[in-house]
Amino acid sequence: MARIFNLLPWRRRRLERDLDRELRYHLDRRIEDLKRAGVSEFEARKRATLELGGIAQVQEEVRDTWMWGGLDVLGRDLRFAGRTLRRNPGFAAAAVLSLALGIGANAAIFSLVDQVLLRPLPVHHAERLVLMDWRGQSLSAQWGSWALLSYPLCRDLESQNRFFDGVFCRHPTGVNVSTGQQHELVQAEIISGSYFPVLGVRPELGRFIDPSDDRDRMAHPVVVLSHDFWTTHLGGARDVAGRTVLVNNYPMTVVGVAPAGFRGVDPTSAPALWLPAMMKHIATPEWDYLLNRRAFWMHTFARLKPGVTAQAAQAGLTPWFVSILEAETRLEGFPVVTAEQRRAFLASTLSVEPASRGISEQRAGLKRPLWVLMAGTTLLLLLACLNVAGLLLARGAARSRELTTRVALGASRGRITGQVLVESGLITAAGVVLGLGAAPAVFRALLFFLSDSSQLRFGIDHRLFFFALGAGVLTTVLCGLAPAIQTARIPLIATLKEKSELGTARGVRLRKALLTGQMAFTLILLIGAGLFVQTVAGLRAKGPGFDTGSLLMFRVDPPSIGYPEADADRAMRTLLGNLQNVPGVEAVAVANTHMLNNSGSSSVFTVQHDERIVTDRVTYMRVGPGFFSVLGTELVAGRDFSESDIRAPGTPEIAPRVVIVNESFARKYFGTRNPVGHRLGLGNRPTTVTDIEIIGVVKDFSRRNLRDQGLEQLYFCFWDRQSADGSFYLRMRGSPEAGFAAIRETVAKVDRTLPVTGLTTFESQMDRSLNAERMLSTLSSAFGMVALLLSVVGLYGVMSFVVTRRTQEIGVRLALGATRSDAVWLVIREALVMLGAGTAVALVSAKVLGRMVEAQLYGIDAFDAPTFVMASGLLVLVSLGAALIPAWRAASVSPTEALRYD
Amino acid sequence: MASLRFPIPQGTLDMLILQILSLEAAHGYAIAQRLQQVSRDTVQVNQGSLYPALHRLEQKAWLKAEWRQSETGREAKFYALTRAGHKQLAVEKESWSRLTKAVQLIFNEGS
Repeated sequence: MARIFNLLPWRRRRLERDLDRELRYHLDRRIEDLKRAGVSEFEARKRATLELGGIAQVQEEVRDTWMWGGLDVLGRDLRFAGRTLRRNPGFAAAAVLSLALGIGANAAIFSLVDQVLLRPLPVHHAERLVLMDWRGQSLSAQWGSWALLSYPLCRDLESQNRFFDGVFCRHPTGVNVSTGQQHELVQAEIISGSYFPVLGVRPELGRFIDPSDDRDRMAHPVVVLSHDFWTTHLGGARDVAGRTVLVNNYPMTVVGVAPAGFRGVDPTSAPALWLPAMMKHIATPEWDYLLNRRAFWMHTFARLKPGVTAQAAQAGLTPWFVSILEAETRLEGFPVVTAEQRRAFLASTLSVEPASRGISEQRAGLKRPLWVLMAGTTLLLLLACLNVAGLLLARGAARSRELTTRVALGASRGRITGQVLVESGLITAAGVVLGLGAAPAVFRALLFFLSDSSQLRFGIDHRLFFFALGAGVLTTVLCGLAPAIQTARIPLIATLKEKSELGTARGVRLRKALLTGQMAFTLILLIGAGLFVQTVAGLRAKGPGFDTGSLLMFRVDPPSIGYPEADADRAMRTLLGNLQNVPGVEAVAVANTHMLNNSGSSSVFTVQHDERIVTDRVTYMRVGPGFFSVLGTELVAGRDFSESDIRAPGTPEIAPRVVIVNESFARKYFGTRNPVGHRLGLGNRPTTVTDIEIIGVVKDFSRRNLRDQGLEQLYFCFWDRQSADGSFYLRMRGSPEAGFAAIRETVAKVDRTLPVTGLTTFESQMDRSLNAERMLSTLSSAFGMVALLLSVVGLYGVMSFVVTRRTQEIGVRLALGATRSDAVWLVIREALVMLGAGTAVALVSAKVLGRMVEAQLYGIDAFDAPTFVMASGLLVLVSLGAALIPAWRAASVSPTEALRYD
Repeated sequence: MASLRFPIPQGTLDMLILQILSLEAAHGYAIAQRLQQVSRDTVQVNQGSLYPALHRLEQKAWLKAEWRQSETGREAKFYALTRAGHKQLAVEKESWSRLTKAVQLIFNEGS
């Protein structure tokens, strides 16, 4: 097969040159000899050429041996393998299906891993992109979860052109957009003017937002549309530039369209449009701190100059950053903090990290689960390989007579080994094709567990192709290696002399070793499944800290369809009143955020009791009266919000007057004292007035996700200020789903055009918040079951084989007085040895792998003994079941017949 | 004269080449001449099929080749048997002798 290399052009050129020299030498020598014998030069030349039969023809024939010699053999092997497989359809189906399973799962998960974790952004020289982050005490309020900086700091960084070719920043948000009648919630990116120029993408049409669109607040009402949005909503009209779209009901002019495939810097999201930072107020009207240096909300990227590394940039920026820090402390409005906090602030550093793959909050949460899944599927594929290797070995054993005869008749062992490899290659190829065919379905099943998957698609691109090719080659070798070695080592004489056709002890030993490996892999997968299933069960059982059974939630956002704030506030109040009267609704309350979606606002506060304390960042939310009782949580001290805390409709934005704290907050900042009656203030400036009265203490419950526990939380009164949008929480009598229609109707009665978003039962919201965990538990269970099935089939095969091989021996033993149970034990003992070895290997590996999954677990140890015992128990039980059938057959051997058996 | 010589049977050329080279390495022209000599001009070797055969055997790794100075001082491609080649020769000799013995047996029976 090395002949394939003869196709390489340089190799080819050398072969041609050598052949030419070789033939010329022959001719010259012949002519010389003929001349010496007295033939004339002309005649000699003619005869020499004639004898050779035409030089061109010889060359052609020789060339054929370079190429077809190898391919011919390969072709014959392929046809032979194809025929063999056709003659054993059961064997072929078992082998191909187990590989298809392994490869399909691997391809689907690799595609997801690649798109979410590995693939660089589709921009010019993505490898030179870096992401900036503040390390240390930033004394800031933050919107977003990590790697946030203020917009002014991003603009400051633009001057650092010693290291950077450009700097840009972006903030992802949702906006309501309308191109005509319908309003629709879409993703958008608020970007600095340098975003598109620095990323270096070309517009599909029109122009991009550039720095001239990012100069003065509210002066640049322009948007760039995504290719997808342009084609789906505007029919791909070429004259779209200059048209107006409504963004949160504010008219904005379309200046251009992004190219297909460009989806911003977050590979797991798909913004429909981009708008300049100076228009931030339109996109996020509820908070407007564009030029505030203590408001962190921008993800700031830079493009490194060629040859500059991220570390060099980080080191190089340090002196400049120190001067910025000092300048910021001198600015008016810098919070007054303790000396210690100030020191911590001044010790902050600016990190510069490579960011060729952009930034993604979803990725941060998916990274470990996806790698765990990738490891799981790899294990599954290895297991499938072992299975196929076992099948090939069994077949090889059955064919050992034939193979030996062929060796005796002069077939080279290399040829026979090659043939085994060709056969395993053919099986693998079929498995790859079938697996890739099934992969899209697996991929769709995976997407089901992702909260936002609009931009992820299964497609066979060159990366997936090479992955599948690599997996295929590896599989071929793994499947074919053991059988190939086995056939290459067949002892000629012994096998030919052997009476039965059942192969050698060596083959059985090899199969047992493979099976032990399968047992080990299966047990590892089962233990993983056990741990993940219990994690989900544990999180579910813990719940958010209140009864979720009959809870519903949904969200409305009137300003997004053009309501002025005051009208929106009135609409929210009307809606709340109307919802109370919907049949089936037991209680209803409103809050500003949707719970359990990993989002929320946070800020620093100043607490005033005996002393003035600046808090760490505390998440807060605004809730209406009755919110806690709708959820079913208790106030442990003080009172809930009441009528007296509600301000009249239409009151312009005013600072909150009252606050309820949770137990963790009370414990951390008040110790054993009762916080009720004390005061706090929003912010950490010296001028921060602490005039918000703490009126109650509520029990802790999970708000952003089920894992958060013991987090300090604050609750302000929803109606303490004008409230334009919010989420309603309803406790229903009976099944919560029954309320969906009534709710839509009630909202429609207030305004038919007002969209209801996120309408869901609290239970399914909880499920959604557990997506990553559920993905792991569901898939690992599926893997575990498939693995169990594969190994049980493998075990059954080997044990049946062993029984057949030892029939005579068993017969002799029975004849000499062994009991039936002795015969059963003889077989079961072999199965137990394999199980024992497999379990030992698995338990040791699980100890190591446990560390990998620890972070994914909740309420259970990675080395949870009951799980280990249960998983091993399941494997042993099922395996013994499979071994019992051949064992029973061994027991029913009739001694007389077995002895007659030849 | 040509009519007296019979064409070499299919598949035996390889064996003859291996046999010649088992004695010592040689280049193509020398092999052609040796074939003529040892078969006492009774076997007609089409010289045109010699080189494809040599290359085929080389591809099968039964022969290895190297460029060396020949007796005339010019560089020529010398072929030599590999270990696999020696084995192959043994196998072919064995099956050849079995075949000829079998054929001989049948002939004897007939007479």
